[in-house]
Amino acid sequence: MGHYLGSTFTIAAKDLRSEFRTKEALNASFAFSVVILVLFSFAFDPSSEQLQTISGGLLWLVFSFAGALILNRSFARELQNDCLDALISSPAPAGAIFLGKTVANFVLLMIVELASLAVFALFYESHFGVQLLPIALVIALGTWGITVIGTLFSALTVNLRMREMMLPTLVYPLLIPALMAAMTLTTDLMNGTPIGKENGIWLRVLAGFDFIYSILAVVFIDVVLVG
Amino acid sequence: MIDQRNFMFMFYGFAAAWVIVTAYVVLLALRERRLREELDRVRRMVEDSVKRG
Amino acid sequence: MRNKIVFVLGALAAGILCWQLYNILLVLPNEKDQGAIYRIVYFHVPAIFTGFMGFFVALGASGAYLATRNLKYDAFAAAVTEVSLAFATIVLATGMIWGRIIWGIWWTWDARLTTMLVCWLIYAGYLMLRRAIDEPTQRARLSAVVSIFGCTDILIVWKSIEWWRTQHPAPVLSVRDGGGMAPGMEGPIYWNWLALMCLAAVLVIIRMRQENMSREIDSLRRLAHSY
Repeated sequence: MGHYLGSTFTIAAKDLRSEFRTKEALNASFAFSVVILVLFSFAFDPSSEQLQTISGGLLWLVFSFAGALILNRSFARELQNDCLDALISSPAPAGAIFLGKTVANFVLLMIVELASLAVFALFYESHFGVQLLPIALVIALGTWGITVIGTLFSALTVNLRMREMMLPTLVYPLLIPALMAAMTLTTDLMNGTPIGKENGIWLRVLAGFDFIYSILAVVFIDVVLVG
Repeated sequence: MIDQRNFMFMFYGFAAAWVIVTAYVVLLALRERRLREELDRVRRMVEDSVKRG
Repeated sequence: MRNKIVFVLGALAAGILCWQLYNILLVLPNEKDQGAIYRIVYFHVPAIFTGFMGFFVALGASGAYLATRNLKYDAFAAAVTEVSLAFATIVLATGMIWGRIIWGIWWTWDARLTTMLVCWLIYAGYLMLRRAIDEPTQRARLSAVVSIFGCTDILIVWKSIEWWRTQHPAPVLSVRDGGGMAPGMEGPIYWNWLALMCLAAVLVIIRMRQENMSREIDSLRRLAHSY
């Protein structure tokens, strides 16, 4: 158990350290999300009532597109110099490698999301100071869902020749339930509606999604990476 | 007798179902022919290699 | 032997479909609200049953492949998924036409339509993935994982929207078949379902034969080049 957690932490730290040195994926991802937000504001110029209905949807679209950039690189960066083979043949269990990378991607995506939220607050008047904790919870859960599925499929598509195309094609349909839940909850929370009887369902869906897929991913990462 | 309201659309609906099934069967048939040709070609290639080698 | 099965099933399917077509068009009474368009349900609903069943069958086959590593399970899973994609297309097409007449809109995000669309997207992604991988064992392994994740996703989508809709009053979006149908009118649905299942079986058998041919070609080609 200690070995497992230790390996997870080591891999997560390695990925984060490597990313913070170059900040390539972070910058690309953040730039992309800013561009989407700006373009959207420019194209639609939503009034504040319209904004109330679309805020959740827009935010999570931005998060998932930005996430794709980060997730693509997750296993792809190991291809050079046979690092992927080295990782697989190391004593670290495959599940630990997967969890380590997922945690690293989660941290990176959260950073981009928080920065994007700041941009969002700038371009669109919004008041999320009201229910900070629930919003933070929803964002964390939704981000974890995106990173779990995304990291697994990053491993799955790493050796394919059309990797950049296959990853979004496979991942986005699978994310639909999590994104639906996150979008509904975020829109509600941003409008001041607390999580109650009606949208509590979506919170359970999101938590259930995260739980089920975290387990499935750890179980199947061996099959995906090794065979 | 059959209700005439929306009759055309019912027809389109049935047509859509049948067109899709037919299109898929045609796709399968085309693929079958292509695979068979390829199979014969590769079998001949193996025979030639055996004869030569 | 297999050819005989194909012929018998095909003839059975054709026979039932013709008989039911006569039944549907000439014998059945009219429905008071919808006009002739309601008869489309006799293709729409059986196609839904057949299309969805494909998912679970493919899930079983994928699991069987991962457990036994016998490629014939992989061939079966691929065949079933492809045939089910065709049926899912029928469901979406007939559903959209029906929806256009009854609700005046081509599309809406109700439970069944959303589930079917996600189903379609995942099937299509699965088939695209198979195209992108040349090596047979890698292809079988990775597509099995996608199939398993996809099936889980469909269940999550279906359940979550169902739970949500029991909270919300459902808008007039139900394409419910059994509820409210007079007993004499239900028969054709089940007969057509049987016919479509026979048709699906025929198509799967043909498709599997093609998968086997394709693998034989691969191995013969390797043999030829080894001389």
